[in-house]
Amino acid sequence: MALYLLYESASGYALFQAQGLDEIGQNTEAVRNSVADLNRFGKVVQLTAFHPFESALDSLNQCNSVSEGLMTDELRSFLELNLPKVKEGKKSKFSVGVAEPKLGSHISETTKITCQSGEFVLELLRGVRLHFDKFIKDLKPGDLEKAQLGLGHSYSRAKVKFNVNRVDNMVI
Amino acid sequence: GRGGMKGGSKVIVEPHRHEGVFVAKGKEDALVTKNMVPGEAVYNEKRIAVQNEDGTKVEYRVWNPFRSKLAAAILGGVDNIWIKPGAKVLYLGAASGTTVSHVSDVVGPTGVVYAVEFSHRSGRDLVNMAKKRTNVIPIIEDARHPSKYRMLVGMVDVIFSDVAQPDQARILALNASYFLKAGGHFVISIKANCIDSTVPAEAVFQSEVKKLQQEQFKPFEQVTLEPFERDHACVVGGYRMPKKQKAGQ
Repeated sequence: MALYLLYESASGYALFQAQGLDEIGQNTEAVRNSVADLNRFGKVVQLTAFHPFESALDSLNQCNSVSEGLMTDELRSFLELNLPKVKEGKKSKFSVGVAEPKLGSHISETTKITCQSGEFVLELLRGVRLHFDKFIKDLKPGDLEKAQLGLGHSYSRAKVKFNVNRVDNMVI
Repeated sequence: GRGGMKGGSKVIVEPHRHEGVFVAKGKEDALVTKNMVPGEAVYNEKRIAVQNEDGTKVEYRVWNPFRSKLAAAILGGVDNIWIKPGAKVLYLGAASGTTVSHVSDVVGPTGVVYAVEFSHRSGRDLVNMAKKRTNVIPIIEDARHPSKYRMLVGMVDVIFSDVAQPDQARILALNASYFLKAGGHFVISIKANCIDSTVPAEAVFQSEVKKLQQEQFKPFEQVTLEPFERDHACVVGGYRMPKKQKAGQ
């Protein structure tokens, strides 16, 4: 069964296909050894599609949903557009590796796309995180950090805003 | 008055053994870092301006070991902090960002500090501090759940952890599994009575080191943070180290 990987970055969503894993045999240790070297890892994992976020507001909305384990409409259309079609009433012939099981079950429930998570998928996603800017040709050095910086600020600013439900807040 | 470290020609600043850290030599020696944002203090710390031979000025900020466990570890003689110019650092337990600001000085404009803090009260100060320091990415989120902030963080060279929680070894391990490079390093501050106040501090440190060893960490060294912090230790080591150890690693 083909395995895809969903990677959520500050710049956008990316979908990868993992190939030749039969040789590795879903062995975490073997993946670990292949991850460090981009030449080896690039043979195992290839970029299928990348969807850059449209605006700062868009990326904040996506980040909030990903953080809560929810699939947005944008993520849904990204997946449905770039993954093989699943026939009505049938199970998909592939599965998508996601970092977090809650997001995986939300995707499976609404789209019938089979998802998986766990140590093996996390190990592959570590490799994607390590080499991400080399996979996406449009990203120049420093672009990803800039996106992380902007998103980190907007995400965190919203969190520390005055909220009556949190005891931690100071009473002004 | 400001007393003590007034700067000017009387103070000489020399590089410390740790790259990116400096020592100001005046009446009393002080640990300092080169201010990323000259003219601004973060928490009312003293600043020292030094004139170079060519007339240009460099500003340093005094790093107080009573307010920063990393500074205390440096003065405690730790062999390597692994945090150096250009490094990418994940900082767990960033609090109001006093130490984070010095780490930001050390890694400089080519480095990045991902600063995680869950308390909204100190998080507010952290976010404000980060506004002026563009190499600090503030993350107001629970360090127990790195998956919640996986979109905000890249692969890092070093994790510094100061979370003071009973399960801090697990928190470090979980974050390392997401974000720490193989062959990267960790620096963890351990407060004995936050973990177990019923046994001697040294026994707590030993059991924490054992927990780390079970999570693919290889502790290299342990220093006490006395006299700056009571019953605290700082443990430094590597993560998923290659089987063959190269010299100097």
